[in-house]
Amino acid sequence: MDFVVQDEYAELQRNITDYIERELRPLEAELDPEKDDVPIELRDKVRRRSAEFGFYAADFPEDLGGSGLPQLGMVLLREAAARTGCRLAGFTVYGPEGPTGVLLAGTDEQKKKYLTPLITAEKSMCFALTEPDAGSDAQNIKTTAVKDGDSWVLNGTKHFITNGKHADFALVFAVTDKELKGSGGITAFIVESSTPGFEVGRGQIGMLEGEGQFELIFRNCRVSEDQILGGPENLGMGFYAAMQFLAMGRLSIAAMCNGIADYCVKLGIDYAKERQAFGRPIGKNQYVQGHIVDSLVELKASKLITYECADKYDHGDAVIQESSMAKLYSTEMVNRVVDRMIQVHGGMGWMRELPLERIYRLVRIFTLVEGTSEIQKYIIAKSVGL
Amino acid sequence: MNIVVCVKHIPDPNLPAEMDGKTLKREGVQGVMDPGDEFGVEAGLQIKERLATGDGESGEGEVTLVSMGPAAAMEAVRRGLSMGADKGVLVSDDVLKGSDALATAKVLSAAIQKNGAFDLVIAGVESTDGYTGTLPGTLAEFLGVPHVSTVKEIVSADGGTLKVNRQTADGYHVVEVGLPAVISVTAGVNEPRYASFKGIMAAKKKPVEQLSLSDLDLSGDDVAVKQEVTELSKAEEREGGEIIEDDGSAAAKIADFLKEAKVI
Repeated sequence: MDFVVQDEYAELQRNITDYIERELRPLEAELDPEKDDVPIELRDKVRRRSAEFGFYAADFPEDLGGSGLPQLGMVLLREAAARTGCRLAGFTVYGPEGPTGVLLAGTDEQKKKYLTPLITAEKSMCFALTEPDAGSDAQNIKTTAVKDGDSWVLNGTKHFITNGKHADFALVFAVTDKELKGSGGITAFIVESSTPGFEVGRGQIGMLEGEGQFELIFRNCRVSEDQILGGPENLGMGFYAAMQFLAMGRLSIAAMCNGIADYCVKLGIDYAKERQAFGRPIGKNQYVQGHIVDSLVELKASKLITYECADKYDHGDAVIQESSMAKLYSTEMVNRVVDRMIQVHGGMGWMRELPLERIYRLVRIFTLVEGTSEIQKYIIAKSVGL
Repeated sequence: MNIVVCVKHIPDPNLPAEMDGKTLKREGVQGVMDPGDEFGVEAGLQIKERLATGDGESGEGEVTLVSMGPAAAMEAVRRGLSMGADKGVLVSDDVLKGSDALATAKVLSAAIQKNGAFDLVIAGVESTDGYTGTLPGTLAEFLGVPHVSTVKEIVSADGGTLKVNRQTADGYHVVEVGLPAVISVTAGVNEPRYASFKGIMAAKKKPVEQLSLSDLDLSGDDVAVKQEVTELSKAEEREGGEIIEDDGSAAAKIADFLKEAKVI
C-alpha cells in the first residue's frame, strides 16, 4: 500500500490548478457573484479549452481522444479542480453533459460518431433515464420503444434531465420488453436531438438558479435500429450497459465533493485565524476548532475511501460496494462540512458576498443524484448478503 | 529546425522567498520552472509545429531544453518535456552553486554547443528570481550569433530567416534576423500550453543528458563568480492610496489627479 501521490498525478494536479487560476479566474470575475447562472456559451468555451489541454475527459481511451488516465488520476484531477473554488472549475472536467462511460458499450462506429466529439467537447449529450414515476426505481420506466420495420418508435416522458435543452443527442432508456424490464427488457437508444418527435419540455429549476434540468418528451420519435447502443444485438441490454459504468459516475461525484470540502475548510481555517471576537481570533475557541477539526478528519476519511476505490477500479475490481461507500460518505460529508464552515463564518457565512451560501445549495444535490444516499446504503447492505 | 530553449528552475515565486546568506535559497524549497520560460518552450514548440504542418520547409528538427541548476532543476526540464519538447540537457555541478549571470551564460553556451548544431536559441527576457535580464545577450555573444531581445510575436520562421516583432516603449519593431540566432521572448508572445497526462507520461521516456562542468571542458576558474552582492534590503512597502470622500467634487479631484499623472 502506497499513500504517495504519483509524480504524474501531482503534476497533472498542478497543471489544472495553474490553468484554472490563470485562464478561468479572470472569466469568473466577469460573472455576477450574487447570481448562480453561468452562461451556456461560457460553459462550452471552458469545456472546449479544457479538452484542448487534455483535462476534460482525460480518463477516456487515447484512441477515442482521451488520455487514458487511470481513475485514481481522474479522481485527483477532479479534486484539484474543485479545490480551487472557482465557479468555472466544474466545467474543466466532464459532468453529465459530457462523455459517459456507458457509451463505451457502443459499436466502434457509434463511439467514433458520438463519443469522440463528447471527449473533445465539440458536442454535448444528456442521459435520459429518470422519469416522473421512475427515479431510484429506474427499472420501472414507462418510456417505450416499439419495433416498426427496421426502426424503433419511442414514446414517453423523461424529466430532471441535465443539459436536456442543449444536448446534441440523448442516451434514452426505453422499455422494449415489458415482461423482462431491467433483466433484458430495457434498451438504450442514441437519439439525436434533431430527430422528429424529440421535444424539449419545460425547464425545472432547482435550488440553484439558472436553467436547471429539463423534461424531454418523445412523441412517435422514430430511430433506426443502428441507434441501439451497441447495435441491434444489444437489444434489451441497456440497463446492463449503464450498470457497468456506475462506478465512474460515483467516483466523479466523490472526487468533486472532496475538492469542494477542501476549499470550504480552507475558507473556514483562514477566517478562524483572522476574525477577532472577544479580543482574540475565533479559532482559539474550542467550539470553532471542533467544527474545523471534525471537518478535517471526515474529509481525510472521505478522500481515502475515494482513492482506495479508484485504485481498486484501476486494478480491475468492480468496486460495487466501494463506489457506493465513496459516493455515500463523500456527499454526506461535504454537506456537513459546508454547514459547519457557514457556522464558523457566523452571519457572514449566510451572505451572498461569500461563496459558502451558494455552495451550501449546490452540494445538497449530491446526496440525491447518481443514486440517493438511501440507494447507496441499500447497495452496500446487499453487498454483504442482507 | 533545431531549437534550443533555456529553462530555469526557480523557487516557487508564489511562496515567500527564503534567503541563504545573500543568495536565494534554492535547495529544499518548493521549486517550479520559471513561469517566464513557459513562453519560451511554447514558442519553440509552436515554431516546430508550424514548420511540420506548414509551407515549404520540412518539420524535421527538435526542441531541446537546456538548463543549469541543482539536481532538483530536473523538474523544470521534465515540465518542458511534458509540454512537448523532445529532449533535455541539465548541467549540474556543486561548483556552480551561487553562479552569476556571466558564468551561467558561459555554461549554457558550452552545453548548447556540445548538444550539436542549432538554428535558434530561445530564452525568457529575464528570470523571475534574479531578474538580471542579461543572460540572453551574453549567451548570444558566447555563441557568436545575433540576439533579438523582447520578442512579442514570432511572425515567421523559414528559409534560414526569422521574422519577429520586437516590443519597444512606443510600439514594436519588425525585425528579420538570419539564423542561427538567440531571441528572448516576453510573456505576451503566446499562451503556453498545459501538459496533459499523455504529455507527462511521454516525458518520462524522453532523454535528458546530465552534464557536469568537466563534461563541458570548463573549470572552476572559468565560472568563478565575478560579482558580489554586498547588501540586501527589502523592497519598500507600497504606500496606501489616497481616498477621496465624495462631497460632490470627487470626479473633479480624480480628473485633476489623472491630469497630474499625465494619464489624461
